[in-house]
Amino acid sequence: MFLRFVGQSIRRAPRRKAMAIGAVALGSAVATAMLGAMLDIGDRVNRELRSLGANLLVTPKSTSLPVVIGGIRYQPAAKDEFIPVASVPKVKSIFWSLNITAVAPALHAQTAINGRDVPVDGVWFRRDLHAADGTNIQTGLRTLNSTWKVDGRWIDDGAPDDRSAECMLGAALARRLGIQAGSTLNLFGETFKVAGILSTGGEEEDRAYVRLEVLERLTGRAGQVDAIEVGALTKPEDAFARKDPAKMQRAEYDRWYCTPYVSSIAHQIEEVLPMAVARPIRRVADNEGQVLNKVRGLMLLIALAALATAALTVWSVMATTVLERRYEIAIMQATGAGRAMIATLLGAEVAIQGTLGGLIGALVGAQLSGAVSQSVFGVHGEAPALLVPVVVMVATAVALAGAAQPLRNALALEPAVILREGI
Amino acid sequence: MFWRFVLSAVKYRRRRLLLAFSGLAVAATLATTLLSVYSDIDRKMRHEFRGYGANLIVAPAPNSQTVPLASVVEAERLGAVAAPFIYAVGRIADERVVVAGVDFRRAAPLTSYWHVEGSRAAADSECLAGSALAAHFHVSIGQSVRLATGPCIVRGIVSTGGPEDDRLMVPFARAAADAGFRDTASLVEVRADGPGKIAGRSRIEEVRAALAAATPGAVVRVRYAVAETEANVVLKVKSAVFSLALVIFGITTLCVTGNFSALVIERSKEIGLLKAIGAAESKIASLFLSESLVLALASALTGYVLGLAIAYGIGRKIFSDAAVGVDFGVFMPVMAVTVLVAVIATLLAASRIWRIEPAMILRGE
Repeated sequence: MFLRFVGQSIRRAPRRKAMAIGAVALGSAVATAMLGAMLDIGDRVNRELRSLGANLLVTPKSTSLPVVIGGIRYQPAAKDEFIPVASVPKVKSIFWSLNITAVAPALHAQTAINGRDVPVDGVWFRRDLHAADGTNIQTGLRTLNSTWKVDGRWIDDGAPDDRSAECMLGAALARRLGIQAGSTLNLFGETFKVAGILSTGGEEEDRAYVRLEVLERLTGRAGQVDAIEVGALTKPEDAFARKDPAKMQRAEYDRWYCTPYVSSIAHQIEEVLPMAVARPIRRVADNEGQVLNKVRGLMLLIALAALATAALTVWSVMATTVLERRYEIAIMQATGAGRAMIATLLGAEVAIQGTLGGLIGALVGAQLSGAVSQSVFGVHGEAPALLVPVVVMVATAVALAGAAQPLRNALALEPAVILREGI
Repeated sequence: MFWRFVLSAVKYRRRRLLLAFSGLAVAATLATTLLSVYSDIDRKMRHEFRGYGANLIVAPAPNSQTVPLASVVEAERLGAVAAPFIYAVGRIADERVVVAGVDFRRAAPLTSYWHVEGSRAAADSECLAGSALAAHFHVSIGQSVRLATGPCIVRGIVSTGGPEDDRLMVPFARAAADAGFRDTASLVEVRADGPGKIAGRSRIEEVRAALAAATPGAVVRVRYAVAETEANVVLKVKSAVFSLALVIFGITTLCVTGNFSALVIERSKEIGLLKAIGAAESKIASLFLSESLVLALASALTGYVLGLAIAYGIGRKIFSDAAVGVDFGVFMPVMAVTVLVAVIATLLAASRIWRIEPAMILRGE
């Protein structure tokens, strides 16, 4: 009887029910789209910010102080201070290895051109890096610095070749030497062909770049690198991140270690590379966190405003549906139905509408947030699957809450009053 | 008679209209909040990018080692922040170190990312030490460093993760005198903020062109990593807010339409009666339209006030103090949006009026 009552009520007034369900669906769609977009945008902006270049610099532990201006060393480095090139892939084997987006090792040297010292870097341009966990990323100078402009082409160093006679020049250096892409140049007594000219705006423009293994051969430093630049996706530092890990309690330390702060990633890199120190590059790392926090906060507040609206909408629609049925409720009461009975009946209807509307809305909203992500970032974002059941549950709860107050009012009134006035 | 009808409708159907009103008011509030945030987001986001320091570098021309100081004056005349730097090799005891000459007053806005223990600036016979340098020579704040050209007292320890860690920072004038720079610097860092004066051209590009023209003895370079990432992120955040605003508006319009349809359905009996005594459909529709316009005006006002409060809250809560502020100029757009939403919703709902058959309604079906 109960089920028949509920079923008939929905079947007999389909339009009105459809409107209620539609309203709940709209509310849930906004909620899902906003939450999905909010969760997504932080990650996307984090990736965008990676185009600023490395946020961690790994250098060998050193007893002397480097005397370097614009890439030129004014004092020779100690011979035994280096990072073995074989250890470079270990950077991708730390706890947060998935957050490491780029690894660019470099060997520094300098050579005289026209009587003036010029810094020459041996680097990976773009190389496959096979990590210990089986993942495989393309990494190097080119992936780390996506904003650099090249006139000519990048050197393709996919396969190692220590006899390659190609180099790239910074734009300032090329201008000084009067060299264009395609010409040749003498470095370390060998002839190199200039593949491309790099414009970066920074001091890289005064350098020459060759493949890492070529410079290793030319300088007789086989298997050595002087620095590794690392790009990592990090969580903005908060007060907790700035605590000294050496003074933390065990549980605190574990929490710090398992959070991708730039400092904990640096710590983990030092664990796998005992001969090196990893330092956050503050200019990039700090501001990245700053900007990211603002974007996340902005999206959160907009989402909250939209969520409040959605809840209000669902609430008011449900309140209306009950208001409309005061007459019906009075008749049921007059014919002897108990309050609990009526409340269950209407509650079941409202719950069905809430669930159905919530489900439709959540599915549509997930698509909407994907579309926003697609149009803004050009990447198809997926709203997390967990969002759908959560939104459905919340929608049902809000619908029930909206119906509760007018229902109580209707039940409290004398049926005779309602029936006489025909409200 | 017409207005009496409209006003009585407001008076006697208060609860019903309250629902429609709150729907519209919510739309107006969201419109105010989003428009106010959106109109200013460029400035607010760019403000957050200041921490990245310079976005332009004035470097020596190919045949030179120095940059004329005139470029600093020129950049400041253009409204940009600029600071000169000198890099030279000096000696502490018997060891060579890099000594950087910094104009601390001018450089302050460009070096906000420096983590400094102690003071951020040094006076004449004082200096700041990079963290690695301080550790290497075992000096701490208040101690004296025996620089070959005369000792200086360490006022602060700088740590940046970059080359500054290995350097000794002294006042610009002293470095210039020690290293023999006359009205020149090793390089000048410049930060140009804000939108360009000419549409379609960025401020950075304008300042770069003007500086390059004014200082022929130097090369002006754009730091692409900073300039492009900033432009990119600001643009993307802006368009994300915009798309979300569109989604929200679309859905609010639908919701308000639902409210108004209910208004019409509920009053089918009255409409049938009006039609039976000879009222034209368009006349009845205009009754509903004026009713909803009254509602729209009231809700736009309410929403404007609420929305500005929320936008102010967002500014306060999220962005730095300097960027707080709301845009009072959004009132007209908000009014337009609210009225538009109300009109669309009413017209969609009012289409039912033509379909109502007086005879059927009055018979009670």
